[in-house]
Amino acid sequence: MKGEPVVAVRSAVRSPSGAPPLGEGNGWRGLLEERAAKAARKASMADRAAGLVFKAAAAVSLAVLAFIIGIILVKGLGTAVRPSFLFGRPQAMKEGGGIGPMFISSLYLTFLTTVIVVPLGVGAALYLAEFSRDGRLVRLVRWGTESLSSISSVVFGIFGMVFFVIYMRLSYSLLAGALTLTLMNLPTVMRVTEESIRAIPWSYREASLSLGASRWETARRVVLPAALPGITTGAILTMGRIMGESAALVYTVGIFVRKPPLSPLQPAAPMAANIWHLYTEGALIPDWMRVASGEAAALLVLVLLLNLGAGALARVIRKKMGIVQ
Amino acid sequence: MPCEADEEEVRGLIGSREALMEVVVGQGDLPPGGVREEESPRVRGNKMELEGLSLSYGERMVLEDINMPVPDRSITAVIGPSGCGKSSLLRCLNRMNELVDGARVKGKVYLDGEDVYAPGYDVVGLRRRVGMVFQKPNPFPKSVYENVAYGPRLYGVRQKKVLDRIVEESLRRAALWDEVKDKLGSSALALSGGQQQRLCIARVLAVQPEVILLDEPCSALDPISTQRIEDLLHELKEMYTIVIVTHNMQQAARVSDFTAFITVEEQGSPGRLVEFGETGEVFTNPREKKTEDYITGRFG
Repeated sequence: MKGEPVVAVRSAVRSPSGAPPLGEGNGWRGLLEERAAKAARKASMADRAAGLVFKAAAAVSLAVLAFIIGIILVKGLGTAVRPSFLFGRPQAMKEGGGIGPMFISSLYLTFLTTVIVVPLGVGAALYLAEFSRDGRLVRLVRWGTESLSSISSVVFGIFGMVFFVIYMRLSYSLLAGALTLTLMNLPTVMRVTEESIRAIPWSYREASLSLGASRWETARRVVLPAALPGITTGAILTMGRIMGESAALVYTVGIFVRKPPLSPLQPAAPMAANIWHLYTEGALIPDWMRVASGEAAALLVLVLLLNLGAGALARVIRKKMGIVQ
Repeated sequence: MPCEADEEEVRGLIGSREALMEVVVGQGDLPPGGVREEESPRVRGNKMELEGLSLSYGERMVLEDINMPVPDRSITAVIGPSGCGKSSLLRCLNRMNELVDGARVKGKVYLDGEDVYAPGYDVVGLRRRVGMVFQKPNPFPKSVYENVAYGPRLYGVRQKKVLDRIVEESLRRAALWDEVKDKLGSSALALSGGQQQRLCIARVLAVQPEVILLDEPCSALDPISTQRIEDLLHELKEMYTIVIVTHNMQQAARVSDFTAFITVEEQGSPGRLVEFGETGEVFTNPREKKTEDYITGRFG
């Protein structure tokens, strides 16, 4: 603060109109201090107000989330935890049916889709991030996948039906469903993988190349293992999305069956799609509401467990590699 | 993991490059560049020779007409002001500058009499024979053991016992074994800066190089770690040819046998070699005025 010099030039300072300087005896320091104090009070009030607004927003979001989860669990958890329900046979017209085949269908479909989409997506992303030198190609592919990811899932379902079910003659089957879901989730897997790969510092690649490794060896031995936490998280999140998918499966996986699928060429009834089915046409079963609620609760718990597992797995892998992030 | 290998055994197995290549290749068919050939057509006493070397990144010329030797089994320091191209010069020796888009090299770099920039030259083999340690330690996000074993695995060594021996010997030579022998499985990133840098040296030693390039290896380290690494270099020069880039003149004077002074005319012009000679001579009795100016701190 320029206390003394201000005092020294006090007499030389005049406001434009020629009037003497404002504030208390020390030139305009007093004025500044008043204004600063006022501004500080306003700022701290604004701080508190902003804090309250954000807290309220968070509270509302959490409340909505808790409400949804709460209702589903309250209505269905009791039914869902019974093994006779979870693994039992569904009934066509009677009460007391279970969702065994649906449960198996969901798991089977998730597994099948993951096994196709992850290698495909990781491979494509690896190529784009590590090996492709053509900036235009990378941009083109990225534009393509971004566009794909914003298309409604029903459109994928119809495309899947026309192409996989009819044209490729797979008819309603797990495979047709899995391939359709692959198309839907490929952009996500590619994006997550690409980001994980780009996050890896150049210094690792440099060290590997300077030891005599080729680009491919470097990608295989250093880059991919280091990107593993990110890739795993992406894969497991994708699995969660597959579990919850219904629209794209309605026209591809043939959800009107009640037997567990044995081969991928058979139709199946995954849980999310089955819930929709029950609500739409389940009136044949007297306790369709109970079954649907139980199924929804089971699905929810499954997806929650999956997401928790993803976080835990990623943390374990990171610890093993000693990455502190 | 403790390795109870007999000292004799280890020396016998690792002590000579020939022995290691036999282990690596499995049958004793040694690749031509892998063994020191006494009768190779190189200038006597020089492991490497730079002839008319010029480097440009795109339009900008970074180094111009460098002619200097790299004497065998000694430490050559490359000194000069920041930005004069010292690091780029180092990277020309193991063709790491090719990783930069638009890098163009003119001239020749001889390793044991062969021009490494000749078309068809085995770049992978070159990078094994001419290893590099970087300014900021860059161990892989793997365990200490896996870091050192990375190179040998790359070249096909698979048996655990052999790898164990190579890892131990490399860590011993890098003066790091005693500190990590009980935690070979722990992450390399948990080591201190000085330890990480010695680990990077061990990693390079594990592939049995002939030349070791160090790019300001101590600039990110504290004085004590720096001291240890300088002592290490003194030991290593009996078996390896060493080139070290440093902006620290005292370090160059302490550590090296030969010194090369590189500088630029003005900002943005290419680096040129001003003087090369035995370190003692260059520092006490430089031939060129520019060298004298730099060393006495009048500029740079």
